[in-house]
Amino acid sequence: MSVLDIAKGMGVTLGHLFKRPVTVQYPEQRATVQPRFRGRHHLLRHPDTGLEKCIGCSLCAAACPAYAIYVEADENDPENPTSAGERYAKIYEINMLRCIFCGFCEEACPTGAIVLGHEFELADFRYQDFVYAKPDMLVGTKGSKWQRREAEKKGKDVRLGFEAGPRPELEGVDY
Amino acid sequence: MKVTINDVSMDFAPGTSVIDAVFAAGYDVPYFCSQEYMSPIGACRMCLARVGAPRKDREGNWILDEETGEPKIFYFPNMMATCTTQVMEGMVVDTLSDDVKRVQNGMVEFTLINHPLDCPVCDKGGACELQDRAYEYGTGESRFVFDKRHQEKHHPLSEVITLDRERCIHCKRCVRYFEEVPGDGVLDFIERGGHTYIGTLEDGLPSNFTGNITDICPVGALLDTTSRFRGRNWEYDHTRSTGMDDAGGSAIVIDARTGRIERIKGALNPEVNKTWIDDGTRFGHEYVDADDRLRSPLVRKDGELVPATWEEAAQVVRDRLGGLSGKDIGIALRADATLEEGVAAKALAEALGTGQLDHAPRPAASVVPQQAPATLTDLATADAIFVVGDVTEEVPIADLRIKDALKGVTPPEMMAHGVPIADLRLKEHPVFHRERLSVAAPYRVDLMKHAGRTASYPAGGEAALFAALQAIAEAQDAKAEDAEAAAVQLDDGQRAALGMSLADAEALVRGLREADNAVVVIGGFVLATRAAAAAAATFAKAVGAKQLILGPMANSYGLELLHVGPSHDRYAYPGMLEGARALILSNLDPAQDPDVRATLEQKDFLVVHDLFLTETAKIADVVLPARSVYERDGTTVNLEGRFLPLQAAPVDAGESEDFVGVVGALGDALGQRLEGRSVRSARRVLRKRFELDPAELGPSGELYRPKGRPAPRVSIRSDEAVGGNVLVTPSMLRVEYLERNPHLLALSGGSRLRVNPADAAQHGLGDGEAVSLRVGGVVRRARVRLDAGVPAGLMLLPTLPEQPVGLAHADLATLTRDERELEVAG
Ligand code: SF4
Ligand code: SF4
Ligand code: SF4
Ligand code: FES
Repeated sequence: MSVLDIAKGMGVTLGHLFKRPVTVQYPEQRATVQPRFRGRHHLLRHPDTGLEKCIGCSLCAAACPAYAIYVEADENDPENPTSAGERYAKIYEINMLRCIFCGFCEEACPTGAIVLGHEFELADFRYQDFVYAKPDMLVGTKGSKWQRREAEKKGKDVRLGFEAGPRPELEGVDY
Repeated sequence: MKVTINDVSMDFAPGTSVIDAVFAAGYDVPYFCSQEYMSPIGACRMCLARVGAPRKDREGNWILDEETGEPKIFYFPNMMATCTTQVMEGMVVDTLSDDVKRVQNGMVEFTLINHPLDCPVCDKGGACELQDRAYEYGTGESRFVFDKRHQEKHHPLSEVITLDRERCIHCKRCVRYFEEVPGDGVLDFIERGGHTYIGTLEDGLPSNFTGNITDICPVGALLDTTSRFRGRNWEYDHTRSTGMDDAGGSAIVIDARTGRIERIKGALNPEVNKTWIDDGTRFGHEYVDADDRLRSPLVRKDGELVPATWEEAAQVVRDRLGGLSGKDIGIALRADATLEEGVAAKALAEALGTGQLDHAPRPAASVVPQQAPATLTDLATADAIFVVGDVTEEVPIADLRIKDALKGVTPPEMMAHGVPIADLRLKEHPVFHRERLSVAAPYRVDLMKHAGRTASYPAGGEAALFAALQAIAEAQDAKAEDAEAAAVQLDDGQRAALGMSLADAEALVRGLREADNAVVVIGGFVLATRAAAAAAATFAKAVGAKQLILGPMANSYGLELLHVGPSHDRYAYPGMLEGARALILSNLDPAQDPDVRATLEQKDFLVVHDLFLTETAKIADVVLPARSVYERDGTTVNLEGRFLPLQAAPVDAGESEDFVGVVGALGDALGQRLEGRSVRSARRVLRKRFELDPAELGPSGELYRPKGRPAPRVSIRSDEAVGGNVLVTPSMLRVEYLERNPHLLALSGGSRLRVNPADAAQHGLGDGEAVSLRVGGVVRRARVRLDAGVPAGLMLLPTLPEQPVGLAHADLATLTRDERELEVAG
């Protein structure tokens, strides 16, 4: 290695010293995620009627390569339906520790009910807290379980550590 | 007959349908309406293929092809429905050409025109014949832009069957099933063309075999309500096992999901149930998942039952039994225990040194006949059948096999692909040859509507009935030898005992005797006394008929064969409840009788092995959680002596164990390696005893015929007094679990006390009233049902394991309206 090579290397370093840094001061500063980024799932509702889109068909569970989804369906009360049609998901759970965020569930869903959003701050402490149930994923719920617990403790709103305009598939989701 | 299917040439018997030839050759045609064991009618037009055959000229020579010199093939001008076409000599079938593909395509498209896109919410999805055929043979694209037909969705045909009329593709399987299999004809097509829908005339489906239509409907139009929306087909664990609700031994598939049984379906056993099962077997599984199921052992500490481990419980049992001498201990199993459990119980009794071992209910007479019993195939091919009892309720599958005999079509030969799909010998609207069947019972039973001759003899008069018939048989014998001999002479008592006219009785006896294959079906009323059973056996022998004995529970035959019985009749089950100082009871609940309860409270030690905290379990010192019949591995023997395998379904039942497990735990506590401590070790004993391997049973099971006569057994009681004002009748539904089976409860309206209207008026009982009554000591709750078919002065009540079939005394002073209204769901 010659002196010249070392000088070349130092030159690169020197050049970068005067460039704008690319580092984002996460979490103080919000990260930007790409529009096709796949994070935590959202369960959507029909915007006009407010009924859940999910019909409890378990096709997402069948498509899931990680066996992360568990669905138990039941019959809708015709007077007071949960979803459009005869059937709704009584239990809908995704285990975020098993999920590999492949998006197959979204692809399999015949009603567009389950869509992968942008939230990625899912870290938590106990295993069972990674199992997300319906209330944790239905539109209107913002943040991971831990974020919501923290926000409640502090009496503040959930603060998401990223910004992104939602995809059109994420009907009704507002970050 | 030589037939060429695409490139395969095979020989078939005349009368084979082309569709079966295609499947036997290893090719496939799509079909919807043909169904094993039912008539092919060509309703769906899905099985089209190009079919041709050579022709003969007037001289009887094959017309030859001029170019090749081979017989010329004349193709039918249109595609043929292969299910209704017979094979012919030299026939050529083409299922692969583009022309055939095009019509099959068109038929799928046509069938889908009016079929809704419900697949994601449909319980049939994933196991649907239409879905599969549309995937295999359809175009994959819809050209249909118009509105689809709209009809009623989720219409409850009954409490247990849901009909979606939009999904129906009009294959007519369900309609034909009711006409041809149980012969009830309760469903039909209404309206015509595109407006056609399935419907009933009356409310509900008055038949005992309704659930089978949910198995055979090719689409999701007919669905099992108990499993509605409970899971998708690919999520179920399928376990093939044997139905343990009656002595028939029907093959079933248990579908479970996440540790719960969601539904039961029929499975194929050509020798036993074909593919059919009764509604009791199909829908009576919900109790298994009841919330109050016991999940861990309980031990009494300071007067309270508290949860304990198996080791603790077994220690307590060992310590408390230690102070007793062997002959003070009684062990009893319910008669639907497996053979392996029987072996375990015997080993335990031997280890404890007691002869007080029994299974219950066990009728007074033996359920294993001295001669080899008739098989169900004998029954299905019989040309004269005489039934005494209520076979539909006792062994429902025998009822269906009797109807096979009435149709007079022998069971089909198996083909390379299994049961023929389209058996052309079966015809729509079959004629039931009623004259082949005679039914006698003390009240009006369901099978009587198909019988040529019926008899209503006085309850408890079975011995007299057979004696009178025997007298007729003997008189006929005398007449045959000597034409001058006097005609049959019966006194008034004998005539009354017949319950039918003398002419009818004579015709019945003659019919049985002249038949090539006659079967006498002997129900529980006959088995209730040894005198009657002996008279029945003598009569059957005299007329040259085989006997089919309907045991009270699933494994009555097997447990008797294995001699799970007492060493002395004093030690039989009723005796041990009195005499033993300590008892181990598996799935039995004798404390429903307050007097017995008082006796049991005086016992030194009481161990109860059961699913629920029953009356008896409540006063027990140790309660052990039991596995239900769906959760056991083992072997059972049905009424024809067929060994059938049981497989445990994956059900979450806590720490439950079967009796094999109980004996294993007790053996560990006693420091002994008992035979029957595990299913494997019990099977070693069975292999030696019966010279067949229970672990290697085929799906049809194995018919066991002992060499020589079966050893005599120790009978249950010596007094044969019959009489009473209540007739305990067999029941297809298990009354002990009925309240935990919400759908069956709604369907049946609960346990029923059937009363003659005149009697009801006298006792001031109204239809549908909930009452409680002590019958033979046992406190029974039931709903009054007025029924003119019940003889005056008699009430009918369904059996419980603790209340065997036959006459019983009810103390009418204890008859009270039940304040706790029986809960009827729905
Ligand atoms: S994203 Fe993939 S792994 Fe995660 S739940 Fe959906 S299908 Fe399963
Ligand atoms: S999310 Fe979609 S695929 Fe999953 S159960 Fe609901 S409707 Fe079916
Ligand atoms: S209800 Fe089912 S079985 Fe009956 S005709 Fe319709 S499709 Fe066929
Ligand atoms: S027409 Fe339906 S199977 Fe042949």
